[in-house]
Amino acid sequence: MAEQVIKIRNVKKIYHMGNEKIPAINNISLDISYGEICCLLGKSGSGKSTLLNLIAGLEKPTKGNIIFNKCHMERMNEDQLAKFRQQYVGFVFQSYNLLSTLTALENVTLPLIFRKVPAAERNKRAMKMLEAVGLSERANHKPSEMSGGQQQRVSIARAFINSPQVVFADEPTGNLDTKTTYEMMDLITSLAQKNRQTLVIVTHDLEISEYADRIIHLSDGKIEKIEQNQNRKRVEERRETQ
Amino acid sequence: MSISDMIKMALRNLWKRKLRTFLTILGVVIGTASIVVMVSIGIGMNESFQKQVEQWGSLQVINVYTTGNNDYYYDDSNSINNNNKKEATEITVSTIEEFKKIPHVETATPVINEYMYFIAGKYVADASIQGIDPASMEAMGYKAEQGRVLQEGDNKTLVFGNDVISNFYNPKLSWRMRYNSPAPEVDIFNDKIMVTTDYNYGTKYADKAIKPIKVEVVGTLSSGGSDSYTVFMPIKELEKIKIAQSEYEAKRNGNRNTQKIKKGVYQSAMVKVDNMDNVKEVQENIKNMGFRASSLTDELETMKETTKMLRMMLGAIGAISLIVAAIGITNTMVMAIYERTREIGVMKVIGASLSDIKKLFLTEAAFIGFAGGLAGILLSLGASKIVNVFALRTNSNMLSSIPFWLCGASLIFATFIGIAAGYLPAKRAMKLSALSAIKTE
Repeated sequence: MAEQVIKIRNVKKIYHMGNEKIPAINNISLDISYGEICCLLGKSGSGKSTLLNLIAGLEKPTKGNIIFNKCHMERMNEDQLAKFRQQYVGFVFQSYNLLSTLTALENVTLPLIFRKVPAAERNKRAMKMLEAVGLSERANHKPSEMSGGQQQRVSIARAFINSPQVVFADEPTGNLDTKTTYEMMDLITSLAQKNRQTLVIVTHDLEISEYADRIIHLSDGKIEKIEQNQNRKRVEERRETQ
Repeated sequence: MSISDMIKMALRNLWKRKLRTFLTILGVVIGTASIVVMVSIGIGMNESFQKQVEQWGSLQVINVYTTGNNDYYYDDSNSINNNNKKEATEITVSTIEEFKKIPHVETATPVINEYMYFIAGKYVADASIQGIDPASMEAMGYKAEQGRVLQEGDNKTLVFGNDVISNFYNPKLSWRMRYNSPAPEVDIFNDKIMVTTDYNYGTKYADKAIKPIKVEVVGTLSSGGSDSYTVFMPIKELEKIKIAQSEYEAKRNGNRNTQKIKKGVYQSAMVKVDNMDNVKEVQENIKNMGFRASSLTDELETMKETTKMLRMMLGAIGAISLIVAAIGITNTMVMAIYERTREIGVMKVIGASLSDIKKLFLTEAAFIGFAGGLAGILLSLGASKIVNVFALRTNSNMLSSIPFWLCGASLIFATFIGIAAGYLPAKRAMKLSALSAIKTE
């Protein structure tokens, strides 16, 4: 079995709504290995997004351990988490979340800006990344001048520019039409596979889960079942069927 | 995040909300301009005081007097006080040497003040005459309008205060006729000028025993100053005249009640200090030696003191408008954070550290302060130019003056106000949870 990049041990997350306690994650343990494409599948309220936030260090678990490369994330402070995210993590959001004041190129370079990479180098890397997502001729456009699919491509480029170990995608295609959805999934998975990067996708869409090696079904804050997807959709296959 | 990236991004964020940024900066502009203008009015006031006082004489000169009564005053009428003679401190040549040894003292001279009659042909003028060390006259800040001031080696020479020249009259005329007749034209440089102690010279009461002394006029002092009614003479010569006079009077009065003039003993002196700022210190030193000392700096201090309240009020008005501007900055930044909650969250998620977020907002606030300060200074420089043009036209000496340090200080102050005003919002932005920031739809 491949080495684990993320180990989740007995994690609980309880939200307080007034006096009521709502367990969003109830005692989940899970391992995610290097280079794996993993899908957290569940209906709304199943706790899939909460689990993603916990793994990415955006929230702290109420109980349990989350170990990322031997580091206990539940013990890190905000600054350590920021460093950690700079180095190891990329994000793709449902609503793209590009900065509207910046051009496509600048949006892609943003993680490098925070890492204090010199301008010449980061622009070179960003251009390469934009080429990889097929947007090199739109480098100097603002997000408002681009379609949803194009914006998501920029956001994908931004997520991968740091060559992070893990890329998190939270409903990455939620706002896109079917055709673009497939394009986007092809793009993300092929990028992740090329560099043996781990990809964690959160979705409620069964069809999207087809892209994953492993599908984790979540329901009511628990793992319902884990499904190994032997014949996951390969980019090549999709191309052939089209 | 590097500083240049930070500034670039901050400027871009401000540029995106041009109107709001402009209005906020406008507040700072008004605040800075009002502070600069108010302070500059205060400075202008002080400078005009200084100019005014400088017309009365040099600010670096201290006048020294003996503390005793007028015991040594040669005047007959005062010599009655002879019996009251106490331990009055004298000013002698050695005292002057002591004055010269005080730190910061450039030079010192004994002073004799007299009242005498000046003869130019058939005309006479009366004026006070001051005897000083001729070598020190230039150092004491006297400036000749025509000719030159007294200098070392001068003996029977005079420097006329300009307004004395127009005081010549014909002593043979009655008072009314003198008043009604035009002032005689006297060429003091070329006419034969004489000095006498006889106040009846030229009239039928003239005392023939007093021989006028022939002198040469080498220069004049400009009108308007406090010395324009005074004639200056080397102290040695004046002392001789004084002694001769007292001897003559002693003889006439039969040595009764007549105070002998001692040579080399004086009642007052002038001390020149190297710098205005050291005048107080030297003055204290001299007072400690047992003398009375006064200077125009005292007067200036008093004038400045009386307007201190006014200047402080002016400054406060400026400060209030800058505080209002600071509140404007805070408001703008808080609004920006509400609008950019999501953006802040995204930046945090993709790796911005807490200090990056804080610095970004502080940079924006600082820039508002800086830009407002800069524009405010330019505005007030322009306003000051216009004010001065009008002031010159109306011949007022109340000029607005903005020294360089005021520009620098207000620019730094405005930037600092911006940072201070942005601190709270920046802290708030920093504390936003990345997650809740992203969730905001």
